[in-house]
Amino acid sequence: MRQAIVRGDPSTYPDWFDGKRRQRPLIVARWVPIAMVGLPVAVLFAIVVYPTIWMFYHSLRDTNITGLFTGNHAYVGFANYGTVFSSDRFQDSLIHLLQYLSFGAVLQVILGGILALTLYEVVKSNLWRTIILILLVLPMMLPPSIVGVLWRFLLTPSNGAVNQALLDLGLISAHIEWFNAGVSLWSIIIADVWNWTALPLLIIYSGRVSLPPAVYEAARVDGASQWKVVRRITLPMLKEVIAIAFILRFTDAFKFVDLVYVMTSGGPAQTSELPTYIAFQRGIREFAIGEAAAYAIIIFAISAILVTLFLQYMKRVMRAQGLA
Amino acid sequence: MVDQTRPEDRWRHVRVLFLAFLGLWLLFTLFPLYFMIITALKTTAETNLTVPTFWPEIMAFGNFAAVFAEATNFDALVDSFVIATINTLLSLFLGTLAGYAFARFPRQAGGENLAFWILSNRMFPPVAILVPMFFLFDSTPWGTDSIWSLVILYLVFNLPLATWLMMVFFRDAPRELEEAAYLDGWTPLRAFMRITLPLVLPGMISVAMLCWIFAWNEYLFANLFVGTDVRTYTIVIPTFTHGSQTLWNLQMAFSLIAMIPPVTLFILLRRYMVRGLSLGVVKG
Repeated sequence: MRQAIVRGDPSTYPDWFDGKRRQRPLIVARWVPIAMVGLPVAVLFAIVVYPTIWMFYHSLRDTNITGLFTGNHAYVGFANYGTVFSSDRFQDSLIHLLQYLSFGAVLQVILGGILALTLYEVVKSNLWRTIILILLVLPMMLPPSIVGVLWRFLLTPSNGAVNQALLDLGLISAHIEWFNAGVSLWSIIIADVWNWTALPLLIIYSGRVSLPPAVYEAARVDGASQWKVVRRITLPMLKEVIAIAFILRFTDAFKFVDLVYVMTSGGPAQTSELPTYIAFQRGIREFAIGEAAAYAIIIFAISAILVTLFLQYMKRVMRAQGLA
Repeated sequence: MVDQTRPEDRWRHVRVLFLAFLGLWLLFTLFPLYFMIITALKTTAETNLTVPTFWPEIMAFGNFAAVFAEATNFDALVDSFVIATINTLLSLFLGTLAGYAFARFPRQAGGENLAFWILSNRMFPPVAILVPMFFLFDSTPWGTDSIWSLVILYLVFNLPLATWLMMVFFRDAPRELEEAAYLDGWTPLRAFMRITLPLVLPGMISVAMLCWIFAWNEYLFANLFVGTDVRTYTIVIPTFTHGSQTLWNLQMAFSLIAMIPPVTLFILLRRYMVRGLSLGVVKG
């Protein structure tokens, strides 16, 4: 065993602990923390802030692909924004987004919460809890491209597994056309619910596990029914955890676009397009840079407001926990 | 008449209801995975039957080998692995430095608002970033189609995550130990390397795992930026065809192989991962 260092007793000093080192200043120089933070900030400026400013600049100009390379584009004011707001494609995609958000975020958090509390309150064996939890969380570990391909395969109208299983169970009498207009967005939502309900489930379950048992002892002594305990103790104490789960799901859902690419490519006839998807298509596939930039800045502005509100709330939660 | 059912009895009925819902959800979760596995074991002819079978007639274990008969599939896994690993190391290095500065010198490092700003970069839709970055990389000599474009782009979501989580973990590590080391004449660098870093090592591992899984599973950037010289497995999977025929069985076999790393990491490290997934708020 190594000898512990005793201050004032040079015989216990290890060899590196010589006089020279002791005279070094103990406090770091002023530039050190600035440099430590400055590196990631510089990286984020280069890959996030600079592109955003670039997009804002081009959202005010009539840039297309040749104009971009020849530098031949003119200031058009807010004409691009006008084009976007007045286009049916954008208005439809906003409705799709609302539809998707209410299921992609709200429903998933509700379902995840119910499942998490059921798992904790009703399943009593620890081993089973762990097994069920792992099984339920498996879909979350899959990349969007596998999820998209898998669900496109399962939902194939003519010989897909879902239609066949529903037929066998007698729940439907004819094949459901999962990728027709009006249905394809729901197919994407089903795949997304399958993929991501596990996140709120996992977070709320872990939040429940870490609640102090003493409170529940007291409630049991007082003879409160289990339902009342959940309603009056568990849910209020999990309020912040549920809110964080919601924030995480909502921000992810807001930037969601992968499954649209893999499952429907926005189709048929643009009925499953989300605003983000159109921005990418206009910019990188159809090269209408000015219009794509207007899309991007609109989406960015909306999410900037939401993210600011969310982070304000998170700051409060973390202060209360002594983390910030 | 007085209600004879005691509260416990009524609760029992509700309990059965909730349990049934949990069971149904388990079925909904597992059915696609089950079908994925059996499809990976079917022959190509059987995957194209007009009435799908729910148990393979012939077990075609050769599908897993057939996936790698095509050398490009293995290359795609290698590309994904290399990109995810380099990006994780970069995120972790920068994130650890900044996280430490935020935790120990909050005022000198720009304060809480800067930390929240860094985190906010993870929450914005990458839509404003992609188009300019596409043309920026396009104008470089190596173009968009290289591992470096993805290594850099994945920093958009992994660097804020790593910085934020390392800050949370450094705040958990008691600062008194470092102060005691200063009193013993240790330099700040030595105290950081020898005392604080070992304390946050579990946190660092969980951050690395999360960053790695996010980069490994990324699809959107890869789909738009690479595809010819560099192909990640996530963009290869949707294009698994032979002529006009989709090879569902090989597609599913390849998917199962690609799922192994993230699923293994999750099962081993799920406790630590909850902390990271909830941005440090929920202690798993």
